[in-house]
Amino acid sequence: MAIQSRGFAGDVVGEGVEPFSDLNAGSARDFVERDGQTYLVAGLSGSSGVEIFPRRPVCPKTGARDVEPILIGPSGTLYTYTKVHVSAACDAPYDLGYVDFPSGLRVLAQVRGGSGGYACDIPVRLASDENGWWVEAVAAS
Amino acid sequence: MSATVIGAGMIPMGKYRESSYPGLAVPAALRALNCAGITPGDVDLVACGHAFGGMLTGQRIVKDIGIGGVPILNIDNACSGGASALHLGVQAVNEGRAEVVLVIGVDKLTQFGGGTLPLVEEDHEVQRGMVMPALYAMRARRYLHERGESPDLLAEVSVKARRHGAANPFAQFRTEVSAEEVLTARPIADPLTLLQCCPTGDGAAAVVLVSERKRQEMGVKGARVMASVLHSGKATTGFRDMLRPEITYHSAAEAFEGAGLGPNDIDLVELHDAFSIAELIYYEALGLCQRGESAAMLRGNQTTYGGKVVVNPSGGLLAKGHPVGASGVAQVVEVYWHLTGQAGARQVEKARTALTHVTGGGISGMDHGACTVHVFEAVA
Repeated sequence: MAIQSRGFAGDVVGEGVEPFSDLNAGSARDFVERDGQTYLVAGLSGSSGVEIFPRRPVCPKTGARDVEPILIGPSGTLYTYTKVHVSAACDAPYDLGYVDFPSGLRVLAQVRGGSGGYACDIPVRLASDENGWWVEAVAAS
Repeated sequence: MSATVIGAGMIPMGKYRESSYPGLAVPAALRALNCAGITPGDVDLVACGHAFGGMLTGQRIVKDIGIGGVPILNIDNACSGGASALHLGVQAVNEGRAEVVLVIGVDKLTQFGGGTLPLVEEDHEVQRGMVMPALYAMRARRYLHERGESPDLLAEVSVKARRHGAANPFAQFRTEVSAEEVLTARPIADPLTLLQCCPTGDGAAAVVLVSERKRQEMGVKGARVMASVLHSGKATTGFRDMLRPEITYHSAAEAFEGAGLGPNDIDLVELHDAFSIAELIYYEALGLCQRGESAAMLRGNQTTYGGKVVVNPSGGLLAKGHPVGASGVAQVVEVYWHLTGQAGARQVEKARTALTHVTGGGISGMDHGACTVHVFEAVA
């Protein structure tokens, strides 16, 4: 008896079973600059509403293949942070922090420009140059 | 649950650059077997936890001691690998698939030459600079912010760990340190200093699990596994309360329910203090105190000898060392010694019950990738 499973034929190679070319997802150009502001190019699952950064082809909550690009930023809140002095991942020292965006998305970011004078829950803003993006503390006005 | 630990062994944690994985683990396995009164031919299943041992680590170890022809499971669950191996061994005994199981945990971190643990480079947070001390440092920063505490509190965790470890001949660090020494040590990831981070090192530990039928036939005492819980983390792309590691809360609650015990019934705990802040957060997650009371619990000496519950009498990962895949089994070795009155100068008096807790981290989107909690009771 043939297996009928939601319309997918298991023995057909075609759209849907090719591997994702995602190895450089974290270092690929995943941001844009518009009108002097930096935005992250995240993903949004149309069915679940889940946002994902870096963008993945499927929704991490449901597995739905309905993730479309969405711009996130430029403003967020620094949940926590640290200055890293010893690292196997990058040349140290550098500052890292988790940034919460108003939509609910949380992103690990490098934090720059505050002379180490950061604090939890301060407002931060995305910034970028030709090499990548980071967040900066928003100067008090 | 009837699987019972009836023998345990480990090597002193340290740096053994001249040793292979079998070179580290065979002495621990032999000690565990000898202590249990079990010959290699009696073993009908081996479970070996490790993170960096490479292919067929378990087979490479036990082929040197005459064990073969039986199932050998190799388990990677990062730092939770050893405890995950124990979990599989307990299942095999309790389901009647094995009478005698040898559980091994082993890892050799000196192969990396020092520094922070190499994480999986495919992970996007690792590509952005994430290392384990940074993750815990960010937990620490948030804890200090929300609780209105200073790094002095974090230092007290290390002071206690090193004090306990000074009495443990198997600990990598066997000298005490002062709070000032902790706070002025080299910064690793602010606010964590070197003495608030577990050391790089090598180690191996092993325990022998048997069925209740086998234990009674042998007439030996041991540490009965009252609950064995393994959970994975649950990923989110959004907010996560870094002071409330859901994976440990869920695992501990399930373990206590399975054991028919509560946090107040536990005499000693070996928990995953890879960094100073972790111990405080896990007091709350394991239910040893209420949320918000971890600082007071530490300052009130409630987690050392004479307190409510002795946490990390071995010195914990901060003093004993943390060769990642070995740690979950080394915790059980420590617990077995206490529950059978063999812990020497650091013996927790009249210890009847114990809990071990180890997580496996280093993955974006999750608090931790794995968490294992075991509850034990002394049986005579």
